[in-house]
Amino acid sequence: MANQPVLIRAASLVKRYGRRTVVDGISLSVNAGEVLAVIGPNGAGKSTTLDLILRLRTPDEGTVEYAESHLRRRIGVQLQSTPLFPGFTALENMRLAAAFHRLRLRDAELLRRLAACGLADEAKTDAARLSGGQQKRLAIAMALVHDPKLLFLDEPTAALDPRARREVRELIGSLAEGGTSVVFTSHEMEEVHRLADRIVFIGAGRILAEGTPESLLDAYHAPDLEQLYLRLTAG
Amino acid sequence: MFAVFRTLLIGQFRDAHTLFWTILLPFALLIGLGLYFDEPGYAERLLAGVVAVNILFGPGMVTPFQVMTLRNRGVFKLLRAASLPTSAFIAASALARTALSLVVGACLVAASAVGFGVKPTIPGLALMLFALLLGSVCFTAVGFITGNLARNGSDTSMISNLVCLPMLFASEAFYSLEHAPQWVKIASLLHPFSHFVDLLSAAVHGSRQADTWASAAALAGFTAVCLAVAAATFRWDQEGVRFRFLVKD
Repeated sequence: MANQPVLIRAASLVKRYGRRTVVDGISLSVNAGEVLAVIGPNGAGKSTTLDLILRLRTPDEGTVEYAESHLRRRIGVQLQSTPLFPGFTALENMRLAAAFHRLRLRDAELLRRLAACGLADEAKTDAARLSGGQQKRLAIAMALVHDPKLLFLDEPTAALDPRARREVRELIGSLAEGGTSVVFTSHEMEEVHRLADRIVFIGAGRILAEGTPESLLDAYHAPDLEQLYLRLTAG
Repeated sequence: MFAVFRTLLIGQFRDAHTLFWTILLPFALLIGLGLYFDEPGYAERLLAGVVAVNILFGPGMVTPFQVMTLRNRGVFKLLRAASLPTSAFIAASALARTALSLVVGACLVAASAVGFGVKPTIPGLALMLFALLLGSVCFTAVGFITGNLARNGSDTSMISNLVCLPMLFASEAFYSLEHAPQWVKIASLLHPFSHFVDLLSAAVHGSRQADTWASAAALAGFTAVCLAVAAATFRWDQEGVRFRFLVKD
């Protein structure tokens, strides 16, 4: 993965809200074809860092460079809040997602994409009535509607039961195998270890550690990522 | 943009708030008050008032909840990462609500004609259409201001009531302010709803052309101000909320 081309390079990012420095000099890159996990405690600056990388916010200091000028339109984003449009069916949510990316996709194509995320039978179901796992998969399906090169997932398995978590993990795994770069945040260390090619630990707005799961466990002599997480965030 | 407009338009008919505030309540007011106050000339005032209230409650009071919900769910943020400009989404959403308001307005006019014999002239209907379009834009902007300031459902409810109910009571939507205290008469000039009601009244039973143009100009002026304030207070997400001192943290 180290030799893969860099898609996004962020250098010395700083973001303040009033007197509070939420991101304090973070530099990281997102490489093509990799699965990058960004982890850290709540309030560590993970979401803000991702917002800066996605150019959803403007940093107070630092730069974000995209390898390709059109990359921004090839990024898919799945947010934590699901469903995005309650009161609309899964298919209607997909229609809106397609419209957001100015795509004219027929319902047959949208249904095919729902089926790829295991939601073929739920197309006409109100998104608010889907199970937690189904809502997450719908959010991912919406993020994939324009065949993105890079996918950002914000806690894709949060608040899901073990079966639903496995379904989402399998979906992420299949996307990665298909060549889609994935950046995700998570509090599930087992999931991070299974899925991530590289991990970035963020704490108090700074990068505490970065590397492959094995290299980090080796460097910190930790038995597993959970112990490593606890050690890094103990201060 | 058309796909967004069509989907949101259809979705409105499944929204309980929209069904109540924009469809059921106006007809209930029209029929209830029309049957209760059986006085000569009141039916015309009532039609103008109910059509105006339809716009106040629809764009003015339902829109804030939609704006707040969309922002808190991250839809506006998501739009920043997409190709469709946020302004296009907002315009499609506003158009969907305006389309519904126009349909309901037409049905109210028809119901008033059948039930109470109110028959606006063709120029009157044209003026009513103009007023509805301008009023829709104005109160959609008011709705956005409310939604922009609110952080959650409670805030939205409180702020939209604080904004809309005084406008309703300090207007001639359902009663004359002829015998109202002077301060109420002055207050009625200082908000857009009063001028909107006046414009609709002129459409229903005519008035002096000078008065009609004055009401239209006042409403247009308020619309411009409200649009500017809505744009200035718009936030992509909760971290961007301005005027925090007005909203409990």
